[in-house]
Amino acid sequence: MTQEMTGYDRRMLALMNRSEGASMYATATRRRVAVCAHIALTAASVTTWLLTVVADQRWAMWTMLGLLLPWCLATGVINASTRGLFELRERALDERQRAERFRVAARARQIMLWLLLAAAAGAGIAAQQGWSTHGLLFPALFTAFVVHWLMPLWVAGLAVQDEPADLDFDSEAVHAADK
Amino acid sequence: MVRAERKVSRQSLAEAVGVHYQTIGYIERGQYNPSLDLALKIAGFFGLPVEALFSLRPFRPLTDEVYGRSQG
Repeated sequence: MTQEMTGYDRRMLALMNRSEGASMYATATRRRVAVCAHIALTAASVTTWLLTVVADQRWAMWTMLGLLLPWCLATGVINASTRGLFELRERALDERQRAERFRVAARARQIMLWLLLAAAAGAGIAAQQGWSTHGLLFPALFTAFVVHWLMPLWVAGLAVQDEPADLDFDSEAVHAADK
Repeated sequence: MVRAERKVSRQSLAEAVGVHYQTIGYIERGQYNPSLDLALKIAGFFGLPVEALFSLRPFRPLTDEVYGRSQG
């Protein structure tokens, strides 16, 4: 935390370090469930949004709006588990968190590289076979944008480690600081 | 561990040296090597030389230090 933080940074830092929902991401299994749920909700949201925009399906819009709240909740759980690794500005993170963010971003970039390669290969095969992919350009690009945007969050959520129990006086101090 | 011996919480040490309290845990578990700047700040907080807190080799258990037993 080297640079001067703004009021917004301090509010976000406090928000990302609240401990009310800690039980929702206390174990690796719960974090995996949260990330899987977030991926499923994102896939459903993207599908319904594309159906709304491209196919003009009215029911899809209402479904998408219904998915918004659980999606926001799942996002909040992942952000809380990472203590805002990708939500906070760099100046609100310390040196270990900045190193962690860099490592997670590099891993996410590597995964995206393989996904885009697979998509490009799929498009190439489809063209070779003479299949029409004309209508898939916008949905594919939009999906790639969303996955590129959220991949660091998913990787960060899966990379979080369990917080070990510490000495009694320590946990008391932490809870007191949170209040 | 010096922090436990001095009854200093992770939170208060973290606030004193300007890092997140989890970072103190990462350093204590050997999962993160602090920068020289941070190592000096932690050493300064305890009023000890940096080599009393950080070493490339694992520290000997306190009982060995006190009773002078050699490492096996």
